[in-house]
Amino acid sequence: MKAMKVKDIILIGILSATITAGKLALSFIPNVEIVTLLFITYTIVFGYKKTLLISIIFSTTEIFIYGFNTWLLGYYLIWPLLILLTALMKKIIKSEYGYATIGAIFGYGFGFFFAIVESFFYGIAYGWVYWLRGLLFDLVHGTSNFIIILILFNPLKNLLFKLKRTYYNNS
Amino acid sequence: MNKKITAIVIVLVVALLGFLGYRAFISPKGVEGGKEVTINIIVEKEGIDETFKYNTDHEFLIELLEEKQEELDISFEEFDFGKMVTGMMGYEVDPTSEYFHIYINGEDAMTGVGEIPLNNEDIYTFELKNF
Repeated sequence: MKAMKVKDIILIGILSATITAGKLALSFIPNVEIVTLLFITYTIVFGYKKTLLISIIFSTTEIFIYGFNTWLLGYYLIWPLLILLTALMKKIIKSEYGYATIGAIFGYGFGFFFAIVESFFYGIAYGWVYWLRGLLFDLVHGTSNFIIILILFNPLKNLLFKLKRTYYNNS
Repeated sequence: MNKKITAIVIVLVVALLGFLGYRAFISPKGVEGGKEVTINIIVEKEGIDETFKYNTDHEFLIELLEEKQEELDISFEEFDFGKMVTGMMGYEVDPTSEYFHIYINGEDAMTGVGEIPLNNEDIYTFELKNF
């Protein structure tokens, strides 16, 4: 039992690092990312409890990299929201199309969510402008999320299930 | 696989329509033709309060600022969301605590310099502020 816990801690650390690395690797293309794909896939393969911990580590790492900003507070809410939504929809969704749709809606609504968070700090007018100015970025975000998840979800999920079995069976 | 390609094409077409809709209805539009505009720069702690009047055919404030960059001694910084004014009249902001607030005819600007259309007889004020 103790060995299992240590394995879980190591796994959570490694998966958190893959998300940060995945984000940095694509950071040169504005709003095209694989973080959404990874959180959705990790939730399906490793369960929502571990993935929620991963999201907290990921958001905290972002603060270390970019410094503290108000938009980073939103990270502590929006990624757990995606994870819980994925976990809730798991029984209903039967194919990658469902997850690609979740990713698309998540991307299209990303700016709106942050506009709400920002308006708590700077007022509704600022939040409104923030959302309008980011609409094109949201369009790219949602569309790219759909394509990335549709293509990569199944191969990644199968690979991770295989690796998970090997990882836990070798203890 | 064909089903996936079809789904991707549909999403791309919807995105393209969204982009065209944004350009047509939401993004700010410039006004063509000659305009007389005023630029006011205030850096209170340095005693700077300068006013400049220009006749211009440019449609957006950023284009005028770039043309007059040397005269107004402006510096910009490029971000994902566009250009931001980081210095005026030789004064560089401390990015950790200061910025140039923009007023249009005394009202707070709702967008950055790249998206502010120039209108005849408008007054654009840049005032150094702390945050």
